[in-house]
Amino acid sequence: MKLLVWLAVHFSQYVVFFYFLAVNATYSLLIVFALRDIVRHVYLSTARAARRQLAGEFYYKPVTIIVPAYNEAAVVLQSVRALLNLHYPEFEVVVVNDGSTDGTLALLKAEFGLTFSLRPVRLQVPHEEIQAVYRSGKYPNLVVVDKLNGGKADAINAGINVSSYPIFCSIDADSLLEPDALLKSSKLFLDDDSLIATGGIIRVMNGCTVKDGAVLEVGLPASTLEALQVLEYTRAFLSGRTGWNALKSLLIISGAFGVFRKDMVMAVGGYRRTVGEDMDLVMRLHRHCREHDIPYRILFVPDPVCWTQVPFDLGMLRRQRNRWHRGMIDALLYNRSMILNPRYGATSLAGVSYFVFVEFLGPLIELFGYVSIPVLWWFNLLNTKVLVLFILLAVLWGVSINIAAVFLDTYNFKRYRKNTDILRLCLLSVVEFLGYRQIMLFERLSATLSFRNTGWGAQARKIIDQPSKEAAR
Amino acid sequence: MLDSITNSRYFYHYVGAAVTALTVFNVFEIAFLLWNKRRVERSEAKRLELKRLASTALITATAPAALLPAPASDDDYAAYSEAVASVLDSFEGEIAERARGLISELGIDAYYRRLARHRLWYKRGNAVDILASFRLPANREFFLAAFRQEPAPEVKYRLLHGLSRLARDHRDIAELARLLSSLPYLTSKYNEDVFFNVIAGLKAEAREEEFGLFMRGAMDDQAVRTMVKRDILNACYAAVCEKGRPVLKAYYSAFAHEPEVLVACIRALARVGDFSAVPQALGHPDWRVRMAALKYADVCCAQLVPEMRALLRDPNYHVRLNAALALARSGDTGRAVLKAEKAGTDKFAAQMAAYALSQEAA
Repeated sequence: MKLLVWLAVHFSQYVVFFYFLAVNATYSLLIVFALRDIVRHVYLSTARAARRQLAGEFYYKPVTIIVPAYNEAAVVLQSVRALLNLHYPEFEVVVVNDGSTDGTLALLKAEFGLTFSLRPVRLQVPHEEIQAVYRSGKYPNLVVVDKLNGGKADAINAGINVSSYPIFCSIDADSLLEPDALLKSSKLFLDDDSLIATGGIIRVMNGCTVKDGAVLEVGLPASTLEALQVLEYTRAFLSGRTGWNALKSLLIISGAFGVFRKDMVMAVGGYRRTVGEDMDLVMRLHRHCREHDIPYRILFVPDPVCWTQVPFDLGMLRRQRNRWHRGMIDALLYNRSMILNPRYGATSLAGVSYFVFVEFLGPLIELFGYVSIPVLWWFNLLNTKVLVLFILLAVLWGVSINIAAVFLDTYNFKRYRKNTDILRLCLLSVVEFLGYRQIMLFERLSATLSFRNTGWGAQARKIIDQPSKEAAR
Repeated sequence: MLDSITNSRYFYHYVGAAVTALTVFNVFEIAFLLWNKRRVERSEAKRLELKRLASTALITATAPAALLPAPASDDDYAAYSEAVASVLDSFEGEIAERARGLISELGIDAYYRRLARHRLWYKRGNAVDILASFRLPANREFFLAAFRQEPAPEVKYRLLHGLSRLARDHRDIAELARLLSSLPYLTSKYNEDVFFNVIAGLKAEAREEEFGLFMRGAMDDQAVRTMVKRDILNACYAAVCEKGRPVLKAYYSAFAHEPEVLVACIRALARVGDFSAVPQALGHPDWRVRMAALKYADVCCAQLVPEMRALLRDPNYHVRLNAALALARSGDTGRAVLKAEKAGTDKFAAQMAAYALSQEAA
């Protein structure tokens, strides 16, 4: 018995200590890679390059924007209007009404003058039955697909089949693209034939001033819960994804804004019906290209911006994080052949390993730490001084990673202009460790236990847009 | 192991030092963040002001250099280069000449030539982009020399793009095509853009025949890849090579087994009003050639309605769709065929016919 206790004490110390070191060192390294990548990107994506693209009458590839919409009556019109105003020479918007029951289709029909289209749809990737395809009389580049409910992945597959162009961009109905976002992200396909997928940064719309589908003024939301998500998004995109980019191991392109080469997505059979369809698709693209020796690149670019609404109450946030975590576990399980498999190169050894050992196993180890450390301290197996220093070290290291992410954002992109917003983000870097992180941890643990659940969970939307007087009339 | 670490008499010193260091680092990080934000905002404001000043001076003054402060920092050079590039994009004649003069007078080109030898490839790439936007003929030799010494392909592609704006005769273009073929293939759009620049430059000087001469030479030049030849033809389509009709036909005959070259030829010829390749192309074994021909079949060849009708049963979806749309645009005869097909037994042809008729009605 004594031996067992001795083993448990030492094992817990080792596991927690090395996990803590490995995770923080990984995040710190990612920040360094991200800084290098972002500086390089900023140098090369100049206004001159954008002007050249806009001025050239043929220097672009036409793009289809696919917007899956399920019960999005509150936001769909604002979103589609904003998409129709994008700065891009040739694009079509395909809104897929995924069996909505809240009148989404009726709103679209009334607003955009939709008429029935007879164009035959070629079945290239599987999805639920399409009931009708409509075209807008007012906007020739707007197509609306009405289909039976099958989930987000299924709706995007229908959009792929209806789309006319070789590149497609999938975005959420509650998100807004900045006018030049499509230009910036699709430009990469002109520079590199091996690029098969790319994604831009997702920023938080809560707290911003939105008018006629455009973000006019960027501000931090007043609510601490929403502002904490700003910090999380900044860290996840600017240090996380940019860092993985540099290691050629990017495994997630956000479902809220991703641009893909259609032929490659069709080659892997389109989206798979799962709650983590975005990560799953990117993993399957990696697998397909590696298995068939196809030269490829999957890139995150930090300057095309998509604004999205984040949950504004804790219940919604927990449901969202639960779904994300279940999606990640499902994608890892489905693509388990990529785990620690040298055949898949750095993608497996760096990217997939990170998701398995940090994102999937991390919550279990963290929980173990939260339980074992106080227990060890209670039984005098850990002295108070070590305990306090260890906690301080963990929090301060985490805070420095958070502030570095805010620094990356402010240094290059300067979205939050007010000093008070920036100082508040720095303060929230500390606040995150006082409850928020623990709540998210328990949600991820709960998702780990219920990963077979495929429920999506309804999300409420706020109408953020303030229509102009002309539009209101 | 942890015991041995914690039992060390220096353990608390190390951990305490780490905690202090992280605290100081965090405070420093915040202070630096705010200081840097202020610095960037000031430098942006200064840059904008300088850019505005330079643009105004270039447009309104005969000797703009006398009115402008000499550039002293990276930001100053960037502001001047942006102003000059935007004036060159918008103006020709005297104002454009003045802008080119300013580049040398203020030493902007010399500055970016120095930067084009920087040890970091992305800084070299940025400098080459800026030099290319000036379109200074004197940079041609510099770009060629830099291309020979440049190790990074990313910069080489930028150098070739810069060269494309300076090519003035068929020998320059041939050299450009060979250099392009010596690099790994980037993208068709990049190559098109390079040759589009060449054609646009030659057209502006009324020397379009130089491009025709180049195309004739490139047709049998083994050093120029077939894919690059296809991209040259696509650039011809985009830039409308009005004088290139005979050489485009020669390409069509010479590359009968290269579907992508044939598609590019059909499009480039059609753009200048020559549809002679269309009837034969409708029967080509490759679906891409058939589809390209169908895009123009209704414009040139009303007598080809039976061929178009046959293509309603093509194995390829895109060919069927384009055949139906071509018939719908072919007047009463075409529409009569579609009406008959709509009522026919072939489900695929009937669907396409119905769609094309609805489009025509709309």
